[in-house]
Amino acid sequence: MDYAISDHGDAAPLAVKILIAGGFGVGKTTLVGAVSEVAPLRTEEYLTHASVGVDDLEGVSGKSTTTVALDFGRITVNSQLVLYLFGTPGQERFWFMWNDLVNGALGAVVLVDTRRLDVSFASIDFFESRGIPFVVGVNCFHGVKDRTQEEIRRALDLDPQVPLVLCDARDRTACRDVLLALIDHLMAARSHTAPHPVA
Amino acid sequence: MKHWTEGFDDDDADESLVRPYTITGGRTTSERNDLTLITLVTAISEVSSEAERRLRRMQPEHRTIFALCKRPLAVAEVASALNLPVSVTKILIGDLIETGQMRTRPPLAFAQAGGIPDMTILEAVRDGLRNL
Ligand SMILES: Nc1nc2c(ncn2[C@@H]2O[C@H](COP(=O)(O)OP(=O)(O)OP(=O)(O)O)[C@@H](O)[C@H]2O)c(=O)[nH]1
Ligand SMILES: [Mg+2]
Repeated sequence: MDYAISDHGDAAPLAVKILIAGGFGVGKTTLVGAVSEVAPLRTEEYLTHASVGVDDLEGVSGKSTTTVALDFGRITVNSQLVLYLFGTPGQERFWFMWNDLVNGALGAVVLVDTRRLDVSFASIDFFESRGIPFVVGVNCFHGVKDRTQEEIRRALDLDPQVPLVLCDARDRTACRDVLLALIDHLMAARSHTAPHPVA
Repeated sequence: MKHWTEGFDDDDADESLVRPYTITGGRTTSERNDLTLITLVTAISEVSSEAERRLRRMQPEHRTIFALCKRPLAVAEVASALNLPVSVTKILIGDLIETGQMRTRPPLAFAQAGGIPDMTILEAVRDGLRNL
């Protein structure tokens, strides 16, 4: 079984990713850590570098430069396929990286915390407006289920086709099921639409 | 003891800025903009003696990358292992590609193509997740 035009003479597998998005403190890193085969890795990027542009970082040490950090995990699916999970915050200051983040993404999980649904609005808007498939994972902190799924859907103004799954971000099986809900959602979308060339 | 789930702060970002751009010889952007966070990079084991000579003249970080990538690693994994920003890491990896010491496998651009991934990929991911 081969997943792509393999004119790459080597044995490198194909890399795909799922984005784990949502507002501040909703449990993104926790979810990544729950399902990853390695402890979540952290990587940084210069904010000024990408947003200011190419020209001058001369004397950069004198400027106040910020970095943004993302964490990610890895699941080796088989010898030909590896899945990366990237925790991606919803704040606008990260959006300069989203082209790169979205590249190779199968889709996204938007995590929400029912006590602070609003912190995940920006992530939902982002994927909706770009037509990137996603599911919503409701992280039930301390088993709190203070709102019905219908109430949450209404508060999020969620398209009825977008699956919503309750989970505990610390629980491996629960997180795996959220990821599986995304894959099922993608498969359903795939069978409803004419096959689209992937390139 | 600090647990890995606790983030480290950005306090040392400013001091650490000088060193990364020294490694790149002052370059702040990669000439190759085709490298992505999950592009897999692999060291080519059977490099020419000329390439080996070049590698010896490069920065220690280049040699570290070359050694790390005996097995395929994503650009993000290399950046994380070197504790360098992604943009700096891309420049260094670009150097190794230029000199014929590494090969890459880019991801498939599903979202940009407005497409849903191939069924065989989705099935493989589903089976992989079920085995977790
Ligand atoms: N009780 C409980 N605590 C949780 C759960 N998920 C996450 N937490 C805790 O909530 C806090 C925030 O979780 P993180 O995984 O760091 O959230 P995050 O979305 O990565 O946060 P940022 O990266 O800062 O935006 C941590 O202290 C977690 O231990 C959960 O399901 N139940
Ligand atoms: Mg986090």
